Amino acid sequence: MPRIAGIDVPDKKKIYFALQYIHGVGEKYAADILTEASINPETRANQLTEQDIANINSIIDSSYIVEGALRRQVGQNIQRLKDIRAYRGERHRRGLPVRGQRTRCNARTRKGRKKTVAGKKGIKG
Amino acid sequence: MSRSAKKGPYVDEKLYFKVQRQAESGARTPIKTWARSCTIVPEFVGVTFQIHNGRSFQELFVTEDMVGHKLGEFAPTRTFRGHTNKKEGIRSGR
Repeated sequence: MPRIAGIDVPDKKKIYFALQYIHGVGEKYAADILTEASINPETRANQLTEQDIANINSIIDSSYIVEGALRRQVGQNIQRLKDIRAYRGERHRRGLPVRGQRTRCNARTRKGRKKTVAGKKGIKG
Repeated sequence: MSRSAKKGPYVDEKLYFKVQRQAESGARTPIKTWARSCTIVPEFVGVTFQIHNGRSFQELFVTEDMVGHKLGEFAPTRTFRGHTNKKEGIRSGR
């Protein structure tokens, strides 16, 4: 199993798809990396030479932010919003949608599983 | 959608002049403003604003991190004190 960008070990798949198992590498970056390393995207990950893998690794190291570094960066951006007490930071703190979506219904991705409130639908006393 | 880069950031002109005048005179009094949609530009750093939220003025001391945000982002317009606690029939939380 090839090791690319730290601990990621995608195998058996074409390298173009295997690369996308790395956090921070999607379709575009995978294609970009392979063009830069001049590797055929159709090659299977386990058929790459050591040289190819080293090449990919050095490209990712030099010009892409992936995995832990990326997660840290995202976390810092959110922390910044919280620290300056901006509206968006407040939404992050409360676990509500940040970009102005409605919250009367839906918004379950941010709010988590439904918390049923007893008697909510009944006649308000 | 974000604002076209061609136009540059929206800065309330009156407010901008007011900040400049204050910088010249060295006064440190808070500036009252209703211009919530005004972008915070680097010149605003270190100035204290009082931003209207529809009811009252929220005091804000501008720091470097806030550059690029709008003034209104720092003066919430809604009050949410939590939902009614059914057992006690009163508002819970803060």
